[in-house]
Order: sequence, then C-alpha cells, then structure tokens
Amino acid sequence: MRLKVAILAAVMVVATACSGAAAPAPAQSTQADIDLSGQPIALTLWHTQTGVNAAALQAMVDRFNSTNGKGITVTLQYQGSYTQLYQKNLSAIQAGALPELAVAYESFVADYMKADVVLNLDPYLNSAKNGLSKESQADIYKPYFDTNRFPQFGNQLLSFPFTKSLLLMYTNDDILKEIGKSAPKTWDEFEATAAAAVKKGADGKTTRYGWAVTIGASTFNGWVLSRGGTLMSADQKTVAWDQQPAIDAVTMMKRMIDNGSAYTPKGFDYQTDFGTAKVAFVQESSTGRPFFVSSFKQPINWSLTSIPQKDPAKAATVQYGANVAIFKSTPEKQLASWLFVKWFADAAQTAEWAVKSSYMPVRKTAGDTDTLKNAWKTDVQGKQAFDQIGSSVPEPNVRGQQDIRTVIEDLLNAVVAGKVTDIAAGVKAAGVKANQILKDNQ
Amino acid sequence: MSRPAVGAARRRRILAENLLAYAFLLPAFLVLLVFHFLPGFAAIYMSLFRWDIVQGPFRGLDNYATVLVGSRSEEFWHSLSVSLTYTLITVPIELVVSLVLAYLLFQKMRGRGIYRTLYYLPYITSAIAAAVIFNWLMNPNYGLFNSLLELVGIGPQKWLDEPRGLFELIFGSFGVTVPGWAQGPSLALVGVSLFTIWKFVGFQVVLFLAGLGNISSEYYEAARLDGASERQIFTKITLPLLSPTTFFVATIGTIGSLTAFNQIYAMTNGGPLDTTKNLAYEIFHVFFQQGRIDLGATMAILLALLILGFTQFQFRVVERRVHYV
Amino acid sequence: MTATSLPRPRGVGRLRGRTIVKHLILAGVAIVIAFPFYWMLSTATKSFFEATTFPPTLFPQELHFENFATAWGDAPWRTFFTNTGIIMVIGTIGELVTSILAAYAFARLEFKGKGFLFLLFLATYMVPAEATVIPNFVLVTKYLHLGNTLQAQIIPFLASVFSIFLLRQHFKSIPNELHDAAKVDGAGHLRFLWTVVLPLSIPVLVTVTLITGLKFYDAFQWPLLVTNSDAVRPVQIGMAQFRTEFGAQYHLEMAAATFVIAPVVLIFLFAQRYLIQGVARTGIRG
Repeated sequence: MRLKVAILAAVMVVATACSGAAAPAPAQSTQADIDLSGQPIALTLWHTQTGVNAAALQAMVDRFNSTNGKGITVTLQYQGSYTQLYQKNLSAIQAGALPELAVAYESFVADYMKADVVLNLDPYLNSAKNGLSKESQADIYKPYFDTNRFPQFGNQLLSFPFTKSLLLMYTNDDILKEIGKSAPKTWDEFEATAAAAVKKGADGKTTRYGWAVTIGASTFNGWVLSRGGTLMSADQKTVAWDQQPAIDAVTMMKRMIDNGSAYTPKGFDYQTDFGTAKVAFVQESSTGRPFFVSSFKQPINWSLTSIPQKDPAKAATVQYGANVAIFKSTPEKQLASWLFVKWFADAAQTAEWAVKSSYMPVRKTAGDTDTLKNAWKTDVQGKQAFDQIGSSVPEPNVRGQQDIRTVIEDLLNAVVAGKVTDIAAGVKAAGVKANQILKDNQ
Repeated sequence: MSRPAVGAARRRRILAENLLAYAFLLPAFLVLLVFHFLPGFAAIYMSLFRWDIVQGPFRGLDNYATVLVGSRSEEFWHSLSVSLTYTLITVPIELVVSLVLAYLLFQKMRGRGIYRTLYYLPYITSAIAAAVIFNWLMNPNYGLFNSLLELVGIGPQKWLDEPRGLFELIFGSFGVTVPGWAQGPSLALVGVSLFTIWKFVGFQVVLFLAGLGNISSEYYEAARLDGASERQIFTKITLPLLSPTTFFVATIGTIGSLTAFNQIYAMTNGGPLDTTKNLAYEIFHVFFQQGRIDLGATMAILLALLILGFTQFQFRVVERRVHYV
Repeated sequence: MTATSLPRPRGVGRLRGRTIVKHLILAGVAIVIAFPFYWMLSTATKSFFEATTFPPTLFPQELHFENFATAWGDAPWRTFFTNTGIIMVIGTIGELVTSILAAYAFARLEFKGKGFLFLLFLATYMVPAEATVIPNFVLVTKYLHLGNTLQAQIIPFLASVFSIFLLRQHFKSIPNELHDAAKVDGAGHLRFLWTVVLPLSIPVLVTVTLITGLKFYDAFQWPLLVTNSDAVRPVQIGMAQFRTEFGAQYHLEMAAATFVIAPVVLIFLFAQRYLIQGVARTGIRG
C-alpha cells in the first residue's frame, strides 16, 4: 500500500513537472481516443436530485439515451442527500460495486482518491477526437474548472461541473422600501439595514427579523471570502480562514443575534419565513429560488443581490454546487461516461438544465440561448444570479474537508449557543483542529 | 428375535432421528452462521488492520489504543458518555412510569383494554415515522411543544437544535450561570429521550402486567388476612416478587438504549454539537461517513463487549422467565 | 393475567374516590401518549400556511384531505409498499419455516450435540448487530452480489433465535401421549409436526408471525446500506427520504407518516391480543 502511494506520488510529481503551468498536455490519451463499437453500454449515475429536478434530469437522460447513436444507456439512481450519496460511495468502494458516474462534491472526490478509483478527465477533455476544443473549454466558467482540479493530486481534473450555484442574498425589496433603505453593499450597511428592518408587536415580541442566519460551512466560507479572506494557504497544507475576516464575521453574526436583528431558523423554515415577510434577508444558494417563491403567501418584490462585501468592487462569494465524477472501469464505459458528461455541458443542455432546475449554467454562451433568455423574463432573479457567477470562488477540495466543514459548523453553533464566548480564540482553536485534520489526511 | 438385530434397528432409528434433526436445523444454522457468526469474526479481523477505505498494513491492537487512549479517544469517550447519559435518563423514568401504570392497570376495571391498547400503540409504530412526528412537535418555529411552553409563560425553545444543557437553560432563565459539569444533558438529548420514553413505556407496561400476573394470589390473601395495608402489600410483596421482571425490563431497556440508532438518525443526526451522538451513531459515522473501517470496527467490537456483559445478565433472567410463562 | 387481582380496600366510598383518581392518572397518560397521533392527523389535513402558523391551531380550519393524495404522488410510495410487502411476506414465511423446523428439532428430537448446538444458537443472539453490520455489508454486496436487491433485505434475516426459542418452549409443552398416538398411526415426525403440533400452536405461531412481520416492516438501517435505487427500497427509507426531500412541507410529511403508520396500527388493533402476549413472553424491544 505504502509503495503504491509512493509510486502514485512520484508519478504525479513527474506529471505535474511535465505539464508545467500551462494547460495539461494531452498525455496518455490513448484510452480517450478509442472508438465505441456501438455495442450496448449501460451506465449508472448516482445523484441527489428530487421532485421537479429529478423529472427534468430523467427527461434529459432519456433524450441522451435515444439520440447518442453509440448504444449508450444511462440509468439514474437517486441516493438521498449528498451525505447519503457519499456514504453509498464509500460502501461501494468496499464492495467493489461503484457506479460508472456519481454526483460529488470536491471533498468527496478527494476522499474517493484514497482508493484511487476516480478517473482523470484531462485526457478526455483534451482528446482531439472526443474532447472539447480550446474555445469550448474557454466558454466554461474558469471557477468551475478551478474547483475540479485537485492540487493534492497533481492538479488533475477529477470531476466536471454538474449542478452549480452560488451564495447570494435573498433581499425583500418591499421591506427595504418600507424602511427607506437601499440594498446594503457592505457588511456595515447590512448590519444597520437589518437592524432597521426589525419590527416588534405590541407585546414586545419580534414579528419581523432583519436576517435569518443559515448556519453552514459554505455560508461561513462566503463571509470569509467577501471580507477579503482566503480559505486555504497556498501550499494547501493549512487552512487560512482562521484569521481576522472570520473573527469579524462571526462576531457580527453573534452581535446581530444578541441584539435581536437576526435569528437562526430551523431546517428550511427560512424559506417560509422569507415568503411570509418575517425576515428581510437570507443568505443562501441561488438554487433555492423556486422554493422561496412557492412559500410566498402574497407576491413579494425581491431580488438576489451579492452578499455584503468588504470591497464591493472586488466582490467575492462562495461557489456552491456539485460536480460529477467518473469512476475507473473499462475504457469503453469510461469514454461513454465522458461523452454523457460532455453532452450534458453543451450550451443547449446546460441552458435547459439551468431553466428546469434553477442551477447555474456552466457556460457563458448559455446566456445567449433563447431557452434562458425566455426563462429570465419571469425568473428575473435567475439573471441576477447568472451575472454574478464570475464572483464565485471554489471551496477547498482537499482530503479531510468534509470533517473540516463539521469543525466550522460546530464553531458557529457553539457561538450561537453561547458555548464559545471568546470568538477570536474559538476561531483560532477551530483552525488548529482543522489543520490537525489536514495533517491526519496527508 | 436376536439381540444384535434389535440393536441394529435401534441404531438405524437413532441415526435416522439424528439425520432428521440435523436436516431440520440446517436452514436456520446456515443463516445464523453466515450472517451472524462469520461477520462477527470478520469485524475482529478488520479492527486489526489499518483500513482507511482500503485495507492497509496489519496494526495489531493499535486501533484499540487509538480509540481508547489515542487520537480518537475524545470522540469515543464522548459518545460513550452520551450513550450512558441517554440510558440514565430513559431507563429509570420508563421503569417507574411503566411500573406505576401497570400496577394501576392490573386491577379489574372498566376501560382497561383501551388503556392498554393506547399505551402500546407507540411501541408498534415505526420508529422513523414516529420520529418525524416528534420532530414536528418540537419544531422551534411552529411546534406544538413551544406553544404549550408559551401557555405556561416559558419562551420558545430550539429543542432538537439546542446544544445547551437542560439545567443550564433552566438556571439561565433566572440569570444564574451554572458550571460546565452541572449543565446537564442537552435539550436535544432530552428531546430524543422524551421520544424514547413515549415509545417504550407501553411495551414495558405489558411486561410488568405479565410479571404481576405471575405473582400467586395466595401471597395477597395471606397478607390481607394479616391486616397489611395496601402500601405494605405493594412494598413488601409486589415489589420483591416482581423483581425478576423489573430486572429484566431494566436490562433490555439498557441494551435498547445503548444500541439506539434509528431515533438519533431520524431526529438529530448526532447533533447539535455532537450532544446526541451516541456510540452506535458514532460507529455509523466513523465507518460510513469517514470511511474508517478499522476504527469503526474497533468501536463496534468495544460496544459489542459492553453489550455482551448486559446480554449475559439478561439471558439468565430470560431463561428463568420463559420457564414460568 | 386476569387470574389474580390486587386486594380491594374496604369501603365503597373510598373505593370510588380511588377509582376516579386512578382513571384520571390512566386517562391523562393515555391522552399524552395518543396526542402525537392526533397531531399527525391534524397537521396532515391542514393547508401549508395553516400548518406553519404559530401558535398552531388545534383543529384544522378547513380539512385538506387532498394532502394525502399529494404526499402519495410526491414519492414512489406504491413501489415502496410493494417492496415492503414482498420482503415482509417472503421473509416472514421463510423465518417461520426455519424457526419451526429448528424449534421442533430442539424440542422433540434426540440427537448428538444437541446441548452444544443449542448454546451455539443462543450465542449468536449475543453478537450485536453493531459488530456485524460492516462485514455483512461487504459479504452481501461483494461476495454474494446481492447489493441493491430485495433478497439482500430478506436472506440475512431468515433465522431468528428468538422465534426458535419461543416456539421450542411451546413445542415442548405438547404432551408426549399425542406423539405416541401419532406413532401408532404410523406418522413420522414431519406428519406429526404438520398435523398435530402446528394446529395446537396457532396462537404462538400468530405471535411469531406478527413480531417477525413487524421486524421486516420497520427495517431501516440495513436497507439504508444495501439499497441504491427506489425500485428495491422499503417504506421506511421512503419515509426518511420524503422528509429530507420535501423540506418544510410539514403537512405533507404528516400525511406520509399517516399512511406509513396506518397499516401497522390497523393490524395491531385486530391482533393485539397475540402481539401483546407474545411480546410479554419474549421481551423483544425494537
């Protein structure tokens, strides 16, 4: 085992050295250039989509199955939440029963690589025969490639953007109008506006809050990025979020909860609360749009604005969403899987998927399609989100990130519960814990 | 008839009976062997290697050291303490409540069957669906529990999302800060415990009713003749004679609490801040969410040993009970 | 259980007072225990907005029975119930067969190693599921290639030490004279088991059937591990999934919980005598 790792490491070092800083050379691409014989190829894709999204995905997959002309049949299998999907994959690795494709967060992929089961997509991406042209590659948002390249594994492209979104702020414009404020651009403005939005009933109870704080590691990462911080050190060996931006962000969150302008909702209740105008701001994934809308008791004027920033000119937020990874199997199945992934990322498909699922399209030119343009006539907020994709920054994709997310969420929950009162020390301690996790996972 | 012939016939008959018995036992034996015995040994095997998603080198007892005193010891002992706390809350309350209810129900009275049926209902209700109902009852925004609290003038609680201790919350509402050791179980753990008590009280009532039925009426008649009061009869006759049942109920309650998984999974996922993450859930987490087969198996073996102790205990009692049912 | 009763205190007035107090306690507890079920039904028939008002309304302002249809249509419940039905029926019959045979051998046959084998059977009960779930998973998926099948949810549970134990106790209590009479008639063990023992054991067989059926109906953790697609998933997974999928749709959650709980409650109401007595005998706790 150790020997295997050593060889792998050596290979990766060499590979990185050879490819240099430029785009990876189309090396070892023989498998990516093969022809499919037309023999039936059955593929299974494990995913997490439900309801409308699942139906839309199924319809698209059906179309791929009937039109690909190469005998490829993709079968969708729903696996529950992302956590459950991750568990399933870990178990499947044990049993040697992985599907051909699975939706995955970056940190999942890093963990699967312990067993070296994930296919490097670079040869496929750059294959003259089956890959994407340089123009086509440039059409896909750079942050979406960045997040799927793993520094820990020689910068290989180990997954491909699938369901992307970004952290934005759901803003109730009616409330802003009522209190005579404009949408807050900086965190200071935000704090003041949220406080002004608070309404109390005759009995002194709060009937409207400024901010529904959704506790989560990604939200936290968004706060850090928007305050000019970074998430990982350059060498990927330690976390970088354990600094002043995080301390400021968490302190502000606690202050706003304590002074009554913010609260922490349960589960998805923030959607209902926003929909019934019980809160002015929610910072959440852009994908939640339809769920918010379905909880509107009366029509609400609202928009999706950037989360508050330290420097609005250099806005940064966190890139949400999952990717799809291909597991190593036979050359035919691997290529067939890649062809499906590639097809799904075509402008027509990514636009269709964006409209039906509310995720962000992965290509810039998708914005030029009639599909999206028409949809944006009613989904104004979808366009608002689309225009901000460029500001989205990937989250770390190192091994152990799953556990680090728990460390962050524990910190936030402990602060909210009053279990951690010295926030600066708490952030530092969480950083130490996170660095230990990174060390254990080396 | 010569003797050897008799012997041969008898031997044939004995052989036939032996073969028939083995044939009868075979199906059950195969299933138990393949799905209980062998996996038990396999778990021990897994705990002796490094096995982080993929099998690594042999490590002897290193994993046990890691879990008991090493880098994973904090989580292990924490989750064990959650298991024990949960057991200490649920088992005594269930025991007392169900004993009292059974005692009241034991006498002939109207509506006895209806009470028993209602009490028993939660026990046959699927744990997952029932947990969904309790999650809803304990919803911080719209839940019934909070509106009941409001009726008595207590502010809304976060229930299953509340990592703060019960005593911490109670004293905190009077402005008193309690030290860490006195904060008590988190409100979330209390919530899960309430659910557990609700689910199992009726079951234990039935066990106690069976136990009460096994006490011969002669004892009561004799006591009555001696002019004993009802309280005396309860403490001097009912309780002592019921003790095998009580002991049995406590033991299976303890084992059930130590292995509780479904309610934790469906209600809190081990949160908030790990305050409901018991050992059974921790094993699930380490194995299925962290991919650490080695440490998961190690913790499972340790839990198995713990339960084995209790099971030994229980079996002696079961043996005795079943004989006089 | 009704053979004995506790002493009655003398004095009718005192008796009546005590009875009232007793009923108050018992009824109070009954209300507390039954209330979550009422609350489930109440929420299940409210509109989304009525369900999410605070303080909640005790009775729905208007009844929305269509919630049940909506909840039913939101997930492949028909598949889930079919799967659970198949697993329950085959699993229960299978477990009955293996248990009856083994119990008969232990109760009425003489063979070499009987004591040892009986202890061995009992010992399997002492290996807790926590220790075996991991290897079992690998065994079932990797070596038996039964991952994501209904069989994987049935086969590992086809024997139960508790069922064997319970049946053995009962089989032992059947008088030997009956067997002798049967032997005179030329009946072998199988025929004796089929024509005499089983008909005499109907109540205990019903108990074992119900307990086993309930076990299969409630199965959750193992199916969660071994199934990948809705096509083979049972009801309990459907319930847990429904919750994560449909976020804050509490009224639909409660509607779904209603039809997950209802079948068991109905069967229980009809067969409670057997179930309650059986559980009192074995002490199985879910």
